[in-house]
Amino acid sequence: MLAYTDRIKEIARALLTDCRVELVIGFRKGTVPMMNEPCFINSPDEADQLVWDSNCGINLANYLANRTEKIGIVAKGCDSRNIATHIIENKIGRDQLFIIGVPCQGMIDRRKVNAMFDGEVREVVESDGLVTVRGADFEKSFEKSELLQQNCSVCTHRNPVIFDEMAADPVDEQQGVDRYADVREIEAMDPQQRWDAFEKLLAPCIRCYACRNACPLCYCPTCFVDEARPQWVGKSQNPVDVRTFHFLRAYHCAGRCTDCGACERACPVGINMRVFTKKLEKDCFESFGWEAGLSPDVRPPLDTYRPEDPDDFIK
Amino acid sequence: MEHMGIEPGRLQFSWVSSAESTKFVKVVNEVSETIKKLGPNDRFVKKEIKVA
Amino acid sequence: MEMIKIDKKDWNKGLDRSRKTYRLVGPVKRAGEDLAGFYELADKEHPDMGAADTVLSAKSVVYPQTEVMFRYTTDKNSPDCNRLKRPAADYSPRAVIGIRPYDAAAILMLKKNFDTPDYRDPYWCDAYEACTFVGLAVDAPSSTDFSTSTGSGPFSEKGLDVLLVDMAGHYLAKVLTDKGAAYMKAAGWQRAADAKAAAQQIEKKKKAAEALIVSSVSFDKIARKSILDLYKADFWDDVAFSCINCGTCTYVCPTCWCFDIQDESKGKTGVRYKNWDSCMYPLFSLHGSGHNPRGTKTMRARQRFMHKLKYFLDKYDDGIMCVGCGRCVRSCPVNIDIRRVCELMNRYGPDPDACAV
Repeated sequence: MLAYTDRIKEIARALLTDCRVELVIGFRKGTVPMMNEPCFINSPDEADQLVWDSNCGINLANYLANRTEKIGIVAKGCDSRNIATHIIENKIGRDQLFIIGVPCQGMIDRRKVNAMFDGEVREVVESDGLVTVRGADFEKSFEKSELLQQNCSVCTHRNPVIFDEMAADPVDEQQGVDRYADVREIEAMDPQQRWDAFEKLLAPCIRCYACRNACPLCYCPTCFVDEARPQWVGKSQNPVDVRTFHFLRAYHCAGRCTDCGACERACPVGINMRVFTKKLEKDCFESFGWEAGLSPDVRPPLDTYRPEDPDDFIK
Repeated sequence: MEHMGIEPGRLQFSWVSSAESTKFVKVVNEVSETIKKLGPNDRFVKKEIKVA
Repeated sequence: MEMIKIDKKDWNKGLDRSRKTYRLVGPVKRAGEDLAGFYELADKEHPDMGAADTVLSAKSVVYPQTEVMFRYTTDKNSPDCNRLKRPAADYSPRAVIGIRPYDAAAILMLKKNFDTPDYRDPYWCDAYEACTFVGLAVDAPSSTDFSTSTGSGPFSEKGLDVLLVDMAGHYLAKVLTDKGAAYMKAAGWQRAADAKAAAQQIEKKKKAAEALIVSSVSFDKIARKSILDLYKADFWDDVAFSCINCGTCTYVCPTCWCFDIQDESKGKTGVRYKNWDSCMYPLFSLHGSGHNPRGTKTMRARQRFMHKLKYFLDKYDDGIMCVGCGRCVRSCPVNIDIRRVCELMNRYGPDPDACAV
């Protein structure tokens, strides 16, 4: 990880020194354990701020939409897929970007780590795949693989799909992972059980919209929940409105979601709203063989028609 | 929708040309029959806001 | 000031006894793994008096996220036609058990907004008056707790009716108000402790807890800086860059009081309610004309910090609008840290304490 950071700094410094970009978007060290803060730097002396470790779960593609500058951006596998999606959707031009690719080995699930201990987690250090968690009166080490975010543990695209320069050699992709066990669990339920399961899932939601705003796909100038004329969705804590928000947002991400996990990571009350988006991701994969953002040159399934598209749902 | 817990059959898709009147009647009858069997929809129906 | 000793084995019994005259509210796990917030306790349900604090503050007890203001009907056949009727809500006495001292201090800040000589928000005031705040002193402050530098603190008594101090086998209860005494009576906790010894024990624990606080903010110079200088400061783009403009910080905050008013109507009847709102949302300041005076996320993030750390300070001359609970620091999805921003603001520009040359 240290080597990654050094290399990212070097590349960023060179880019800014040679004026090849106006700013570089990356991460700087956070102020609490397991958090780094997305930041931009626009002078070579600031390159030393940049860091890379297993706490860079925020998807940096989120900071690109509609920007007009030339930008250097640090991108792990999922970030790069969302950058490709942005390019397809004309939110940024490929020629505006210098992508510093980072082969990713997964991000730490800070919620999971915090939940493992009674006391407060004060420090989390990682070295060579080993993560040590310390509190005021405890210390425990884990294999990093035990602490990964769920989406990272089933990720099959750890290496950036597009990049201009890599910060390290590609890592091996995970083989034989079962990506959709959680979705199948819901599929196995009857309608009432499903309804109840989602009711329970969404009960703690406070509609802060952190999931939406952390999502690189959610760049609409005005979200449908914010529309006032007409007003599509009520704004109270009514469970119907809360659910409408979540499932419509998921629909808007159909065929675009890369399961980067930014939404779940951002949620202050620990809702796994990925069970919505993942169902659509699974359907897109099964119906169209589609995985979002693998190339900026292929049109997504929802804006293309092929005669062989499945249509057995139409009577 | 079904994934969310809406009963199968409540939401249906069909493609009927303006020339296919018999198919149209058939589809409408089938849909209303299914829906009647399911009964009134109580999901996505807003109940009163709770007073604290 | 009375000191009462409550044996832990009498704790749940007392709570249950008080249910005859009080509705109980406290931190409990509801719907999810987290200790998300303060909820009304069901029968036989007891508050979680552990060390972990809730994700959301206790403000919802007096200021629910969604609250009906009135209902109306335009039906000519109804005797209530065109009348705005406030719904009957339960304002019988409620006891808020296990509220943290900084949250109680925050409720006094909310009071500055909802209960003023000119305007009195009946919803907030009625709920507030119904409450007895039975606080739990914080023995092991988190590393993001900076309450001592905001005028609150782990053992602060501001806004509380009773302060409980956990002494392992028992609680020492410092009764601070008549309301507090009435609650203790209702719970049947009446065993007086030796006041002097108890005060000493509490003082000792207080010192120990305060010593465990590792973070702080300083805002001593902010009041003397010009609003416009701070407003135009060069650090806002850097502070706000990572901000995704979600409402997390404002919703978890015990002192954020902004709300939005919405109408929902169906046929001839309707309801008006208020919801928490957030200055992080573009909609917050959008004008009917379509113009938005806070059109960028930098402006919105700046507003949050300027309001808390400058405008409030100037308006009330009573510290910042922050009690240092650290919730926004812990919950921010992108790690924007108010402690850092406060420091930037305090240090910005010429030092007002510097000697003139």
